[in-house]
Amino acid sequence: MYDLIRSRLQTREPVLLDGALGTELVRRGVRWRKHGLLTDAPAIERLHGEYLAAGADVLRTNTFQLNPRIYLNVFRNREHMRHIGAPELEGLTPRLLRTSVQVARQARAKAGADGCAVIAGVLSPLEHCFRPDLAPSADQARGEQGALARVFAEEKVDFLLLESMNTIGEAAAALAAGRATGLPVWASFVLGPEGELLSREPLAEAVAEMERGGADAVLVNCVPPEHITQALEKLGRCCSLPIGGFAHVGRFSPPSWKFEFFPQFIETDQWPAERYLAEAKRWRERGATILGGCCGTRPAHIAALRAWLGAGTRSAEA
Amino acid sequence: MSSKGMYQPVAEKLARRETVVLDGAIGTEILRRNVTWADHQLASQPEFVRGIHEDYIRAGADVISTNSFQLCRRALYNHFRDAAHRRQIGATDLDERANRLLAESVRLAIEARERAAAGRPVAVAAAVTTLEWCFRPDLAPSAEQARDEYREILEVVKEAGADLVLLETVNSIAEARVALEVAKSLGMTCWVAFVPDERGRLFTGEEFQHAAATLEPRGVDAILLNCAPPEDITAGMAQLAPHAHVPIGAYAHIGRFDPPEWLFTDEYPPAKYRDAAARWKQMGSRILGGCCGTTPEHIAALGELR
Repeated sequence: MYDLIRSRLQTREPVLLDGALGTELVRRGVRWRKHGLLTDAPAIERLHGEYLAAGADVLRTNTFQLNPRIYLNVFRNREHMRHIGAPELEGLTPRLLRTSVQVARQARAKAGADGCAVIAGVLSPLEHCFRPDLAPSADQARGEQGALARVFAEEKVDFLLLESMNTIGEAAAALAAGRATGLPVWASFVLGPEGELLSREPLAEAVAEMERGGADAVLVNCVPPEHITQALEKLGRCCSLPIGGFAHVGRFSPPSWKFEFFPQFIETDQWPAERYLAEAKRWRERGATILGGCCGTRPAHIAALRAWLGAGTRSAEA
Repeated sequence: MSSKGMYQPVAEKLARRETVVLDGAIGTEILRRNVTWADHQLASQPEFVRGIHEDYIRAGADVISTNSFQLCRRALYNHFRDAAHRRQIGATDLDERANRLLAESVRLAIEARERAAAGRPVAVAAAVTTLEWCFRPDLAPSAEQARDEYREILEVVKEAGADLVLLETVNSIAEARVALEVAKSLGMTCWVAFVPDERGRLFTGEEFQHAAATLEPRGVDAILLNCAPPEDITAGMAQLAPHAHVPIGAYAHIGRFDPPEWLFTDEYPPAKYRDAAARWKQMGSRILGGCCGTTPEHIAALGELR
């Protein structure tokens, strides 16, 4: 299945990702507990289906920032979690990851897109995506990201997407852990206002590290559309791999209590599909092969990109 | 009645060694009523939040606490790398949002009192938690930093008309001391509730004997234990009660923390919870209430212990 994508990347034909899951599910009223995977699987499946109908070549699993730490971090320690926490919290993450793949797979089957759309298992920073200062050591990251990657491999996702990576160290560790499963890996970085990684490490160094580590593509994501354009300018100059970007729209509105990343963006109507498309055209001009949408984007944004890009993997299959 | 005036009946009850009933959970009660708690619902569904306060007042609470658990500027800022990053991608109201919602939380509790107390004295306690996560004393900011942030928070709730401050789920003596000192410098009544562990100690390993010895000379008005299972509250009470000279109290959680929500269990129906609270009363507790997982029915049952 991934061969279809690989060949498109080789010939620099565009590959279209889907848009946001978390922010759109929250906007639709899904309660953000366990990523909705236990309580709202039908809503997730429906949204995957809408992205396929909009023309996405790639479905991403609803697993952004989903790892055992997000539960463990809110307890004093593991013993405290066992003492006052819900039963099964410890084994929960692998179960949720498996469900996320199954839900995407079901959506794809229902859409009649088996054999053309691919499923990317989403890995992301183990700590808060916007807090590079909290990033774990490379050893820890490799072990923990590896455990997540192996679940995705067992569930037979088509490739792994490292999303919103905020340090070179954790991205390199996750890339190595991902490659160890034999799956192709794409690495996408979240940038700071300076235009480098959120950790302030140079984007060019991150690219070099990803090339050395055997990534299939390097992307930038989770910054506003114009900032993606600027980053792709830089990426186009320093990256020999296929490059891409997916921007967020609107502004991040964190919850008024402390927990992990919560997918809530406001003022997203500042970026309707047409305006998003106009900016995405600049990404393509700067060499982006892979396009999609991050937080705040919706199926309409992906449909606009598809209408402009023309046929995707599905017509290739036909 | 003035703000001081509303606490006066509570102070008198405590002085007479009578039982004062505190309310039950707000956050988990919002969830139990099938609404998300992601934004405290202070701005989006104020009547709904106020309705829960009213239910606790009708259940007999002498003190109700605001829906402001973990609500502070730092909690919002923690989701960003720094100020530059916040300005780049964050909502534009984050500098003032927490204080606005804090004031709103006090206003809703006062409104609930006006609508439901029917002339009975009910004090409004501004619920203020640790600046960082309540179960993670390792994340606590420096005393100097904490002092400035507590001053900002407490000035807001005082101005909004809270009758007292309830510092709750506090995990270290150091942070309790700083917040108490700020409250006293503002002339506010201040109760401090600590979270105990299974051995009946603070999460830092500190002992309640030392907590009492540190807070009492600084004017704490009551010391309580909260946000632990009933058995741990009992363990903590055994440590605290022999050493406290100010009124003491307790409010346990029931059910299980299922982040980011709560798992409700039938382990402690109201009558059984009342029996656990009766034990705390026997040990010296004069303030009894409920933490996460408790409901107006639990608070109504506590009324039988008066």
